[in-house]
Amino acid sequence: MSENTFTVTFQPSGVVAQARAGEILSDVALAAGVPISLPCGGQGRCGRCKVVITRGEAERKTTVRLTATELEQGYALACQTRVQGDLEVFVPPIEEVIVRRLPTERGAERAYELPAACDWAAKPTLRKVHLQIEPPSLLDNTTDFERVSRELARQYDIRNLTVALPTLRRLARALRDADWDVTLTLEMSTWTSPDGPPRLLDVAPGDQTQTLYGIAVDIGTTSNVVYLVDMVAGRVVDTASAYNLQISCGEDVISRIIYAKKPGGLEHLQRLVVQTINGLIEELCARNNIAGTEIHKMTVAGNTTMTHLFLGLDPEAIRLEPYIPTITHPSPVRAHELGIHINPDATVDCLPGVGAYVGGDITAGVLSSKLYTTDKLSLFIDVGTNGEIVLGNADWLISCACSAGPAFEGAGVQSGMRATVGAIEEVWISAKTYEPTYRTIGDAPPEGICGSGMISLLAEMFISGVMDKAGKLNRTLNTPRIRMGEHGPEYVVAWASETRGKKNDIVITEVDIANLIRAKAAIYAGFSVLTRSVGIELADVEQVLIGGAFGKYIDVEKAIQIGLLPDMPWDRFHYLGNTSALGAYAALLCADMRQAVVEIANKMTYLELSADNTFMDQFTSALFLPHTDTASFPSVMRLLQSVGRRSQETQ
Amino acid sequence: MPVTVETPLEKWTGKVREVTLGATRDQKGTRSKTVTVGGETTLPFLHFEGSIPHPPVIAIEIQDSYPSDWSPVLLNAWGDTLKDPAEWAKKAEALGADLIMLRLRGVNGDGSETTGAQAAAVTKAVLQATGLPLIVRGPGQAEKDNELLVAVAEAAAGERLALGLCEDKNYRTIVAAALAHGHLVINSTPIDVNLAKQLNILVSDMQMEPDRILMDPTTGALGYGLEYTYSVMERLRIAALTGDSMTQMPMICFTGEESWRQKESKVGEGVPAAWGDWTRRGILWEAVTAVALLEAGADIVTLRHPDSVPIVRKAIEQLMAH
Repeated sequence: MSENTFTVTFQPSGVVAQARAGEILSDVALAAGVPISLPCGGQGRCGRCKVVITRGEAERKTTVRLTATELEQGYALACQTRVQGDLEVFVPPIEEVIVRRLPTERGAERAYELPAACDWAAKPTLRKVHLQIEPPSLLDNTTDFERVSRELARQYDIRNLTVALPTLRRLARALRDADWDVTLTLEMSTWTSPDGPPRLLDVAPGDQTQTLYGIAVDIGTTSNVVYLVDMVAGRVVDTASAYNLQISCGEDVISRIIYAKKPGGLEHLQRLVVQTINGLIEELCARNNIAGTEIHKMTVAGNTTMTHLFLGLDPEAIRLEPYIPTITHPSPVRAHELGIHINPDATVDCLPGVGAYVGGDITAGVLSSKLYTTDKLSLFIDVGTNGEIVLGNADWLISCACSAGPAFEGAGVQSGMRATVGAIEEVWISAKTYEPTYRTIGDAPPEGICGSGMISLLAEMFISGVMDKAGKLNRTLNTPRIRMGEHGPEYVVAWASETRGKKNDIVITEVDIANLIRAKAAIYAGFSVLTRSVGIELADVEQVLIGGAFGKYIDVEKAIQIGLLPDMPWDRFHYLGNTSALGAYAALLCADMRQAVVEIANKMTYLELSADNTFMDQFTSALFLPHTDTASFPSVMRLLQSVGRRSQETQ
Repeated sequence: MPVTVETPLEKWTGKVREVTLGATRDQKGTRSKTVTVGGETTLPFLHFEGSIPHPPVIAIEIQDSYPSDWSPVLLNAWGDTLKDPAEWAKKAEALGADLIMLRLRGVNGDGSETTGAQAAAVTKAVLQATGLPLIVRGPGQAEKDNELLVAVAEAAAGERLALGLCEDKNYRTIVAAALAHGHLVINSTPIDVNLAKQLNILVSDMQMEPDRILMDPTTGALGYGLEYTYSVMERLRIAALTGDSMTQMPMICFTGEESWRQKESKVGEGVPAAWGDWTRRGILWEAVTAVALLEAGADIVTLRHPDSVPIVRKAIEQLMAH
């Protein structure tokens, strides 16, 4: 063995890998197929890729987020450790949540509502037709394809049929095996050729016109959702969702883009998202007793970075000024080109984005929220890892994206976690005793705090006076819950004895609070800048349409109290569920809807906040609870006054 | 053809709050006079547009022990006076100061840390030596500030001192002490309209009356970001005049400290000959900085050099004449 190569043994898997001197441990693990979670993309910021060096020598570039005790025990950050000799490394189990499937919405009474203009039956994207064809003879020796075309024109007035090579290769056998009694699956149009010509996708024996499937897919940074759509009845048959497997390579888009730069990183990310989607397709097919090849179209809505990674496009320029994507409106591709396990020749159609940070998930949202057909001045928001905002109505649309960061998704916060069992999702704090009560998902012992819990906690801490409007804890209060912790002042939400692990108190630190306030300020500043840019007041907005997975769980009252959402009557807020998947569903089904998305994307103005000189000012103004401009939050001011009065009366 | 030109007047709806420093015997204090600042209903010195009921005032900065780190120009000008805060205050009053600003250094001449009792004693001595209202600033380190200013607030109860500096990370103790003993506070924020307003809200949330708050917008010296300072102060004043109650506090600028920190004032050797006479340069640097900040809306400027005082005084008189 050369003197610059070392052996790294990963435990408990026992995988043995070769490493060059100075090679980064997480890269070695990646190459060897040992899963290590890199939520920050390997920048050494999140501290989640903790491993234990049980034997051998390694250089720790940084030790951020490792405690003194952990260092003594041999802990290191895999993405910040250089191999300097033969190593044995213990990889702790990855957060269970990453591989866990999200609970599906199956069986729930959910309306998958289509926009009114969606006359999918009149303009279907896919069609099946049953043909009984006269077999060839010496008298009629027309070719198979000509024969099919001729009958199609004669019986259905469908002309100019085209076919791709894989289907053509199967044609002769399929026609003869079926005795010339076949069902053709036809793609009637794509956005690049809205008036056809039709393309032959599949030939099946007999009359199978009763079943025709497509899938609408929402590729979120955090979770992926697949709708199985019955293209005959026009309805969603079933849905499945799972965390995007890319999470192990970075929790937000920026971290993923950084990860994509690693050798083999982009290919790895592309494989992971395809793997996630294929897993969901498999689940849906099994549950509904259909074969993957029976799915003949896939429509995808995702943010610009997710779309790039899905197609395997280099996302680097999205991250760097002046933030240029390779493409915002990719032409249709074939399923087999991407490795998606549906009919190999089926079209995979990615909905168009507008800019580097406003993608197809947002144009899909504008479609499904019906924002593009309303007369009302509307604000559409999709709060996820990024916050995207669209303002407008049927006549005009303007959008922006604010980098809220993953704080509301539980990352970058000490006791943060995703919204799974054991997450604290709602908190109440007494303004007299400063004692909290909380509710967890599944009523399980608490393990951490999820996004909705953070909003609730922040609002309660502020209203009860546990912290001031700048997010600083009031350390003059007489309560053991406010104390100095390892990372500065903190508030104890749950004592260790109440938690599942019984080891650590669940706390929120001033650093966490500052992160959360920055996240909410970024979103609110987006609202402010967007409305100002078109010369209107936020108060003039007639309806606020909330999309995105996270939107479902936002408590409007609490979100207003911390100044995440504008202070307006609650009946102006509407939850729309997964607007991205719903938009993909409409565009999958109906050619007119697909064209509508094109128009939405073309019509939408994109405001780049980093180029807007008022953004910083609005951001600083929003870095306060609820906001520096208190006059914009009259209901919160009234609440504070009444709480103040009550607590004075009791003193 | 003769053209009649009508001066365009802005109709402001807001007004800067009037804040009174010091309390006389009738008011349970011991000052021979009080000083009121603020009350403007227009931008600085636009007498034709609104009223400016109180001229801006000059505070002379003194320290509780010998300021060995000061520019030699200052040390020479004051001489041995610097060794006795009470004497220093007396001389400052004689020079025509409207206010005295006592800066607690936190460390005594012998290198020991100042105690609360020592801070209280020096404050009392200064109060006895002069009849002018007093501003007292801590050393600028949170825990020490709290310790010393609490002692000062207690010792000078009822005197309506202005205590500072309150910052967003450390304001509760100082505000509580000021509330308990009848003083004012100075809120300091780093050159930002929003941050200034936020701290005013935080301090008001502790039931401190808005007319007991002064704000320090953080200022730069001539040549060191003065134009940025100017623009932030102007924006603060415009916000106040448009009716934003949490920006209506009068502004105090620590001009002397800023300008005497700069090379032009501090260094006499190894600088280009074209820079001219060191002493004159330092004085002018301070005076020009102060006048610029008055034009930006400062209600109180603090000065260090005795000879800057008459220059700034004359400028104020001229700016107030109409």
